[in-house]
Amino acid sequence: MSNRWWEIVIFCEPVLEESVFWRLEKFGCSGTATQVKEDGASIKAYIPETAVQLLDLAALSLWLEQDAMLMEVSVPQVQWHLIDEEDWATSWKQDWQPTEIGDRFLIYPAWLEPPERSDRLILRLDPGTAFGTGTHPTTQLCLESLEMRLSQNAKSQTIADIGCGSGILSIGAILLGAKQVYGVDIDPLAVKASRQNCQLNQIEGQSLIVSQGSVEQLIGINDGFDGIVCNILADIIIELFPSMGAIAKPKGWAILSGIILEQAQAIANVVEENGWTVAALWKRQDWCCFNIRRSEY
Amino acid sequence: MAKKVIALIKLALPAGKANPAPPVGPALGQHGVNIMAFCKEYNARTADKVGLVIPVEISVFEDRSFTFILKTPPASVLIKKAAGIEKGAKEPNKQTVASITRDQLREIAQTKMPDLNANDIDAAMKIVAGTAKNMGVTIND
Repeated sequence: MSNRWWEIVIFCEPVLEESVFWRLEKFGCSGTATQVKEDGASIKAYIPETAVQLLDLAALSLWLEQDAMLMEVSVPQVQWHLIDEEDWATSWKQDWQPTEIGDRFLIYPAWLEPPERSDRLILRLDPGTAFGTGTHPTTQLCLESLEMRLSQNAKSQTIADIGCGSGILSIGAILLGAKQVYGVDIDPLAVKASRQNCQLNQIEGQSLIVSQGSVEQLIGINDGFDGIVCNILADIIIELFPSMGAIAKPKGWAILSGIILEQAQAIANVVEENGWTVAALWKRQDWCCFNIRRSEY
Repeated sequence: MAKKVIALIKLALPAGKANPAPPVGPALGQHGVNIMAFCKEYNARTADKVGLVIPVEISVFEDRSFTFILKTPPASVLIKKAAGIEKGAKEPNKQTVASITRDQLREIAQTKMPDLNANDIDAAMKIVAGTAKNMGVTIND
């Protein structure tokens, strides 16, 4: 079913912005987008088509007029029209070009024909609405960390990818030669995207298994994992980290990212409190990536 | 050479909960911004402020990259907090639901000052007072 949204556009004096925001929030709009132009502010807000009637929109317009009069500023212009719901999360993809990452990867959008020959590992990807396109610094840091970790003995390594998103890190690990990867994500759309990207990269059989869930889904698989990759967000990593020990082998390693620099200390504390050691900390722009191992290693 | 800014967009969003639905999708999608990357970064930076609305001003460059800075919460959010109320009046402009003191008004104006179109604290207080009045919140002297 295609959903539609009312796009409400309010053109007003900039001093009214605060009052307009409140009125729109009260109306049921979640958030606003504002662009200030030379002759005033253009504020856009959205509400599902089914949530309001035309009469409600007319009433909103009157309230906004009244608010402006009470503040003794000129009356705003209010317009509204219906827009179709688009796949906003993916419309930016038309600008996405093949990207080289680290020493070995070339990330290729699914809709482009990859070159027949390349001295790099071609990782084909259609992220759908899932996280992980290779353009984000944290994804790049994780792929580069995987290159380092899997530069030796890759064939013996089993890896867990927690919050696998588009599957980019799971697939990257397989392309680097890992024996087996288990990917989990709580978002069903991410699980679907990961599975589709597995096929796109012709990864078959049991070498890459993706399922919906989180760390608990991975407890008891084999006798634990040699490596864990987790690129989510700092507060989620802090929450999940204590249970990561339950899925790691005694000499296990992990790559943690999705962490902005100012959160690095909090992550380092959790890592050490749980018996792991920070082996390396890499940074790019405002983001960082932890390469860690269990302390007894 | 510095990259050229092609759009400057301010979004008022619930902290830690940005997703591609409106207003983020339509506002950023038209400029070719990687929406999921924006959501991830916004949510990371506002995770400790969940429950508040944290506006963000995004500069989009010609190569579709972006930077952003976080702004102060909307005046209405600060007024509700100061007045200890969940919502404004049912029939605002007619009804009074709560009040705040002039000191609280000044404090909110000071917090909001960097983001308001106001040259001095008196002008900022006037804007905040106007929003309060519309919400049915009076100012006690």
